[in-house]
Amino acid sequence: MGIMRKKICMLGTFAVGKTSLVARFVHGIFSEKYMTTIGVKIDKKSLDHDGRPIELLLWDLNGEDRFQKFSESYLRGTDAYLLVADGTRKPTLDAAMNLHKRAQATLGEVPFVLLLNKVDLVDEWELEDEDWTHLQARGWTILQTSAKTGTRVDEAFHILAQQLVPP
Amino acid sequence: MTSSTLPSGLLASLDVAVLERAEDHSFTLLGKAPPWLRHLWPAAVATREHLHPEARFIFLEHFFDEALPLWNQDEASATPSEMWTEVDATGQEWLLEATALKLEGRSLLLLKFPTVAPENYREVLQQSRELSLEHYRLRKEIDRREVLLHCIVHDLSTPLAAINGSLRMLLDDALVPEEGDPLVQIGLRQTDKMRGMMREMLEAFARQAQPRQQPDTDEAPDLAAAVQELTIGLTPSATLKGVQYRIETEGGSNHRWPVVGEATRLERVLFNLLENALRHAPVDSEVVVRLTDEGQSIRCSVEDAGKGVPKNEEYRLFRKFVQGSGKNGQVGLGLYFCRITIEGWGGSIGYNPSPMGGACFWFRLPKPTV
Repeated sequence: MGIMRKKICMLGTFAVGKTSLVARFVHGIFSEKYMTTIGVKIDKKSLDHDGRPIELLLWDLNGEDRFQKFSESYLRGTDAYLLVADGTRKPTLDAAMNLHKRAQATLGEVPFVLLLNKVDLVDEWELEDEDWTHLQARGWTILQTSAKTGTRVDEAFHILAQQLVPP
Repeated sequence: MTSSTLPSGLLASLDVAVLERAEDHSFTLLGKAPPWLRHLWPAAVATREHLHPEARFIFLEHFFDEALPLWNQDEASATPSEMWTEVDATGQEWLLEATALKLEGRSLLLLKFPTVAPENYREVLQQSRELSLEHYRLRKEIDRREVLLHCIVHDLSTPLAAINGSLRMLLDDALVPEEGDPLVQIGLRQTDKMRGMMREMLEAFARQAQPRQQPDTDEAPDLAAAVQELTIGLTPSATLKGVQYRIETEGGSNHRWPVVGEATRLERVLFNLLENALRHAPVDSEVVVRLTDEGQSIRCSVEDAGKGVPKNEEYRLFRKFVQGSGKNGQVGLGLYFCRITIEGWGGSIGYNPSPMGGACFWFRLPKPTV
């Protein structure tokens, strides 16, 4: 049986930790220094899911703001995506919601997981219980992650991979 | 002497790699290879033929979906890709873009650095985002401190009210010997003053916390009536100083001047400006209040003949906790309160030197729509 390849996009506004999540998952490293991503950076990671090899192509897309627009053309052929928000900056959740809508319009219904990143910064956390309840009511898979400590990062990618492998 | 043919190394010197697509879908490297290609894909420079750039640069696999229809037709045309980033073995990032080209029946792929200078672009983007993050962090820090300050002011106001009440009772019930009366009165005046300052601070916090809503225009306050009433109220203090309030309006005293806003807060804004002018007006001078109909809005100005505001202090007049250079015991929230109130109603507020020699504070409020 050949290796199954799946394209996974990282979606979220700037500085929410998309690149750091990929670096943690693929290379097991973390850097405190923020380096903005331009365009797209593609990384690969092979997994073994129940004895079936799967290669994830991780498309780390630039975050959108008024200086750099997000191009929907990058999404073509996407099998699943991680929607990333920074729990210490509440407006990034709105930006993630907006990107989710645009992704859905382009891709239709594909698997995704919402990551509320930077959970290690407890004192700075801005999302409230109300936000959490509101998000859970949508029936989404939501994880609180930290690229810095590695909290639930592997799990996030594995959950997506699981949804991409046919039973 | 010139030649009619292009130099063979022209494109390479512009950092452009040119590849031609063959019928078997592999590519051949044409001409000289640019240095960056030697670094990122040395195998291509060594073999030159039967290359698969989409295997080396995964992004191209995606781009070829767009390029194939172009290469499979005969018309001369071109399509550019989005930018992407490659990371070499040392961790250095290379920003690239591709162009699919159909020219004279040949299917070409150009690989190059983006048209914008990548380093400049990255630097500007990086700086703008770092500033944006810093701005967010500072905003959060300021909010946190304001909440703390609010709590402190709030906590102090309760014991102060108790002190004030006790002093008042001592006076009202004649519980102190006659010679002690002036001292109790001083204490009472000072606590009244402190309570006023605290109220001012708490009101400013409250105003800031409220969402800005379009006020109800059905009960629009009359600006002229408010000015009239407040100047009458301030007349005793003004008389002591030999200062007179003069009100200048068009249309006579019966003319109404309705504006967007809420009566109590509007009076507080006016009181701040009128009291401020009185404080700075020299003995035996005038404070002039002028109302002007500007069509869609009404302008109200308050002018005095005092020293005015030094040029280097004008820019921060309407900020929080700003005191004049005289530091006359005010908290520095009066004008800030005026600004957030007036702006909350869709108006504007400002300062300019007065022709009378002192200060001219003005605000402009829209008229209510019928």
